[in-house]
Amino acid sequence: MATSLTSGRPNTLGVELPDLPVAPENGPDPVLEPWPSYNPGQFYDEMVGPDGAPRPAAEILWRHFAELGPEALAERQRAADREMRAIGVTFTVYEGTTGVDRPWPFDIIPRVVPADEWHVIESGLVQRLNALNLFIDDVYHDQRSVSSGVVPSELVAGSPNFRRECVGVDPPGGIWAHICGSDLIRDADGTVYVLEDNLRVPSGVSYLLENRMVAKHVFPEMFLHYSIEPVDPYIGRLADLLASVSPAPGDPTIVVLTPGVYNSAYFEHAFLAQQLGVELVEGSDLAVLDDDCVYARTIDGLERVDVIYRRIDDLFLDPEVFRPDSLLGVPGLIRAWRSGRVALVNAPGAGIADDKKVYSYVPDIIRFFLGEEPILATVPTLRCSDLESLEFVRANIGRMVVKPANESGGYGVLVGPQATADQLAHASQQIEDDPKRWVAQPVIPLSTAPTLCAGEVAPRHVDLRPFTLLGPERAYVTRGGLTRVARRKGSLVVNSSQGGGSKDTWVVDTTGPAPSGGPAPAAPPSRGHPGEPIA
Amino acid sequence: MLLARMAEAVYWAGRHLERAEGTARIVQVHTDTHVDLPVGEDVGWEPLLAIVGVHSEFAERYSAAAEAGDTAAAEEDVVEFLLHGDGNASSILSAVAAGRENLRTARPVVPREAWEASNNLWLACSDHMDEVKSRQGRVQWLRRVIAGCQRINGILLGTMSRDEAMSFLSIGQNLERADLTTRVLDVRSESLHSQHGDDPYDVVHWMAVLRSLAAYQPFRRAMPARPQGGATLRFLLQDDRFPRAVSACLTETRSHLKQLARSEAALEACATASMVVASAAVPRLALDGLEEFLDEVQVALDAIHLRIDETYFRPSFVDWHAQSEAS
Repeated sequence: MATSLTSGRPNTLGVELPDLPVAPENGPDPVLEPWPSYNPGQFYDEMVGPDGAPRPAAEILWRHFAELGPEALAERQRAADREMRAIGVTFTVYEGTTGVDRPWPFDIIPRVVPADEWHVIESGLVQRLNALNLFIDDVYHDQRSVSSGVVPSELVAGSPNFRRECVGVDPPGGIWAHICGSDLIRDADGTVYVLEDNLRVPSGVSYLLENRMVAKHVFPEMFLHYSIEPVDPYIGRLADLLASVSPAPGDPTIVVLTPGVYNSAYFEHAFLAQQLGVELVEGSDLAVLDDDCVYARTIDGLERVDVIYRRIDDLFLDPEVFRPDSLLGVPGLIRAWRSGRVALVNAPGAGIADDKKVYSYVPDIIRFFLGEEPILATVPTLRCSDLESLEFVRANIGRMVVKPANESGGYGVLVGPQATADQLAHASQQIEDDPKRWVAQPVIPLSTAPTLCAGEVAPRHVDLRPFTLLGPERAYVTRGGLTRVARRKGSLVVNSSQGGGSKDTWVVDTTGPAPSGGPAPAAPPSRGHPGEPIA
Repeated sequence: MLLARMAEAVYWAGRHLERAEGTARIVQVHTDTHVDLPVGEDVGWEPLLAIVGVHSEFAERYSAAAEAGDTAAAEEDVVEFLLHGDGNASSILSAVAAGRENLRTARPVVPREAWEASNNLWLACSDHMDEVKSRQGRVQWLRRVIAGCQRINGILLGTMSRDEAMSFLSIGQNLERADLTTRVLDVRSESLHSQHGDDPYDVVHWMAVLRSLAAYQPFRRAMPARPQGGATLRFLLQDDRFPRAVSACLTETRSHLKQLARSEAALEACATASMVVASAAVPRLALDGLEEFLDEVQVALDAIHLRIDETYFRPSFVDWHAQSEAS
């Protein structure tokens, strides 16, 4: 497989800008059945190797699709669509100001990940989340990372995600970001990168679980032939985690706090509350009384709440402290949290560690706090606030991805090679106007996976969002994650708010049952250096 | 713990779904009965509007037709209005949608399958809306509504814990049932009074009353009499075993209220309503004073709702705080 990773212009910043592989026209170099014209070209394909044969972990699935034939596959896709609609799995998109419920787009062809590769990723994610939590705790206490020069002081002081209300607070176990939804991508050479650490209110886990349920109904036979790691344990681990941070002894009262039925992730909030067997509350269901405790308005009067799994952004949590116009939050909530009378998951202020500028320092943060080499690779990131970087980005904007440092959901992202001249000029101007708002990265040619598009199976770009839980006692990573797929040919934007679809992700053990509690296996597929698993 | 907001949502889910099923039955039976009556004996389609209580909304929407001299409300207009009409918040489709919306809010406290069934019902209703223009399509559509509601009820019965959420849902359902039964009696009796005792179609009318409440067969098994005024009234008001009889609905409501803390005021209102129903002087009522009597029952039912509302749904943090300070 000819990748062009070394062909980029080297420069003093150490950033390489390889030429993107070209998406092939279907045809000249057909690979084997079941989809004779399937050809991912120079991209890394999750199912098919460079020789056109299925990757070992996907072989059974590949053969099965060949036997099934295109019509049966299409019928199973329709069955899956019907089921998603019937069980009411939706997400909300905003068209102007009105939210519209859309059925959740699910592509039935699963993405297969070999278990030994997954174990490395798992250790890498736990390592990262441990380090990020140490960093957050440090930011709100001694700031050793600043005084030691690991991160510049303006990174902390100048961040819109720094919350002075959090200074000096000691959440249980020193953990701030308990739940992390990471975005993983794979380069043309197979390297897995962490692209984002979402530490505020990451969403998607309900879709991961529902995708699996529907996949079981669509391909029941596959679950007999394969040893596919289950995803269900997530809910139990989440329940344990929430209980473990309760400030009160005994059986804690746990609630999920939602902005309400009009929020784009309301489906997920209701799903999680239902699966956890806890109440789903809105801000108006809660109050903080004179004793600094949080109470819920129940049919029997006021009942104390111990743990809040909040799905409302920091700034809307407490109108007494943050945005005074917020009707979603609970006045006094931060007071209650600071006094240790209620646990908030994730803690306010955790977002300091997931903006895209901090991202570029994560490898150093891991080395500083853990004394280990990062297990997973981080995409080289240029901060436009740096003059040399700014010049470089402006000169090469057509070959880079430019991102606002503080947005999520794919908003405001410019993919240079796919932008028009106007868009490039506009972005260039925006960057010049306010350089510190922007970061830039080389374009990673995302890996592809076979996807049903208008009756044809074609390669489409994917990423992967696993979820990591970190409690005072233990860590857990979902086995696999939510695979998001860009449904438009050649598109690199996978966010569901931008029209992306999803796939079930099968972590498959091809070597037989792994020894329980065994160490992570040998060679990682990444450029990063292996470390000891933390979990 | 049951949030006040969740309790209110399941209560209304119970009411709306019951209303959808009840209205569907009434329209269904009216369509069947209409076919049996000769022209002239026909009571028209307006009584349906009165039962659902949307006479004035209908008049507003269809005033153009009325002004053109078309006095009798046309079948298709009435049916369209009752099933899914614009401007009719009590249409079957609105009730199904509201039931689904409330179950969606209450997802954490109801079985997953119940929410899914209500979602399916709503999808099936809206997907097949264009079928209802023909009588035959309408029959299918109404059947779908009734079967969908029964499915939800079955899921709740078979899989939901008998917890507080279940109590609120059942109370909502039973109050709505009792209310619908009184409405059907109210409107039907009006059209029956205008006729003489020996009307050969009297039995047809009373059979229709029973059928629209799914009560015909239970009535036959329980009562020796022909379905005439007195016997029918006694059965639909005072029977304690037929689940849509007002008395039985109140018994159910009482047993669920007893499961809840602080239900004294609501229980008292429930006892008052039971007393009113038990005191009904049937069969004389069949001839005179039925309307006033049914009004009295409806007021008593509404009183139960108000007590529940002010005991469980309305109190604010301030109210609760004041209460705990006082005690």
